[in-house]
Amino acid sequence: MNVNREKETTLYLGPQHPGITGNMMIKLKVKGDMVTKAETHVGYLHRAFEKLVERRNWLQSFTLMCRFCVPEPDPMELTFARAVEAIEGREVPPRGKYIRTIVAELARIQSFLLWYGGQSGSAGLYTLGQWSVGDRNYILDLFEDLTGARIYHMYMWPGGVRRDLPQGWIEKAYKTMDYLEKRLEDYNKLLFDNAVFQKRAQGVGIIPKDKAIEWGVVGAPLRGTGIKHDVRIDEPYEAYADFDFVVPTYEGGDVWARALVRRDEIKQSISIIRQALDKLPGGSYYNRIPNPMKWKVPAGEAWVKTESVRGEIGFYVVSDGGNKPRRVHLKGAAYTHGVTVLEKILPGQNIADVSFILNSLGVCPPEIER
Amino acid sequence: MNKLENIIYKIKDTFHLEAKQKNENQLRVDVDKNLVSSVLLYLKTQLGFMHLNHISCVDWIEDNQFELIYIVWNPESKITVLVHTRIDRANPVMENIDAIWDQANTYEREIREMFGIEFPGLVGAKEFILEDWQEMPPMRKDFDTAAYAEKTYQKRPGRENARDVREELMKRTGEELPDFAKKYSRD
Repeated sequence: MNVNREKETTLYLGPQHPGITGNMMIKLKVKGDMVTKAETHVGYLHRAFEKLVERRNWLQSFTLMCRFCVPEPDPMELTFARAVEAIEGREVPPRGKYIRTIVAELARIQSFLLWYGGQSGSAGLYTLGQWSVGDRNYILDLFEDLTGARIYHMYMWPGGVRRDLPQGWIEKAYKTMDYLEKRLEDYNKLLFDNAVFQKRAQGVGIIPKDKAIEWGVVGAPLRGTGIKHDVRIDEPYEAYADFDFVVPTYEGGDVWARALVRRDEIKQSISIIRQALDKLPGGSYYNRIPNPMKWKVPAGEAWVKTESVRGEIGFYVVSDGGNKPRRVHLKGAAYTHGVTVLEKILPGQNIADVSFILNSLGVCPPEIER
Repeated sequence: MNKLENIIYKIKDTFHLEAKQKNENQLRVDVDKNLVSSVLLYLKTQLGFMHLNHISCVDWIEDNQFELIYIVWNPESKITVLVHTRIDRANPVMENIDAIWDQANTYEREIREMFGIEFPGLVGAKEFILEDWQEMPPMRKDFDTAAYAEKTYQKRPGRENARDVREELMKRTGEELPDFAKKYSRD
């Protein structure tokens, strides 16, 4: 390989590389160790989920919906359930809404913890990754008690949730939240007080504030440029309107700002879960649907958005009045972050920072290909 | 006049189009295919719909049409507008809007590959997600997934007749398996 600064060389990064969960190749043009051009290549993970659900009935689709993105399956099933409810006009009982909010926030926390591992690992700091992924297991334990599964739950259905909270679950959830809150201080010391991370993250991978909305940036990367937007506050769904929480924003638009946003958001998620557990209403958790094998959803369309850790995700769902979806189309945050935004911000960066930036944008290739 | 009514009025005043309210922060407007880029540009530059959420496509094979849905969002008023248009299925060509939003390029490349709709002037490799694809665009409704699987993939030797696992197991073991689906059916 020619490392002469004058000559441009092509470098294929991926499809397997640190920084992201899933396979995606980035074709880089480099001069010395500086990137001059980047091009995203996907196609390693296409599973045709959107085609497959056209042959499955509405409830069977949920087994595929949660599998769109491995690190964060719950927002997918929540959004799809909400889209079906929006078409059908089905109400969710208050207890169902609260349980859904708790599960969605737990899913956010476990995804944040996974992100800690990826972000610190791509900077060469492996200790934090071991700790946070270990602590993530406490959240997965809660999921296992609640739904019977650790990663893919298929727990949120149209009309509510599948099961009520098991006995003793609330106390266990409180305990886990107390534990995690204490651990966050250790994480701060390991990552944010670390000179290596500070030097690597500050001023790297900058998204300009004036272009962020136009480029389609959402979620933590958008809030890292100083723009306050969060679906949970702007268009509240489930029980979010009942809780007090703030949406952290930081100026700068670099990896550092995005990391700070995520650090603060974990605390907010813990606070939301505590509030939801305090206020949890009684009554039914599920508004029963008809026989799922013969259940027909009236003709209509819905565009529904949810805030996930990687940013907002949306489902465009069309029903033609049959017992199967006519069309299901997912728009994940990674769809813009991993292609357009990445191709725009990588030129001028160092090769060593590419996977670092990828992780901070929250790129999840299975979401691009579906 | 609230925010939504204001937008409905402005769209009607400029383009003589009826926008319909879907819910408290969503509007739907049905547009002729030649007007799509004008409406989108107007929404972006005049009404502050800076963010293109998505471009989606639905195959209405019974009407011999494709429906394209452009979803735009306003960061100030938090309102979403869904711009719908229908194009001929036999000769699917649609105007390319990646001059208005850069990320439209990605969405259009996906639609070109999955539905076979041409967007003249679209930059980027023809292959986006699929690799060496020789068949008709796979998201079209007349693409037969079962026939494609039969043709492309081989059956595992010894498993040719194992399509119904229950039947096969009962035959092999000679035992009667309980039919839970029948037992717990509500009708």
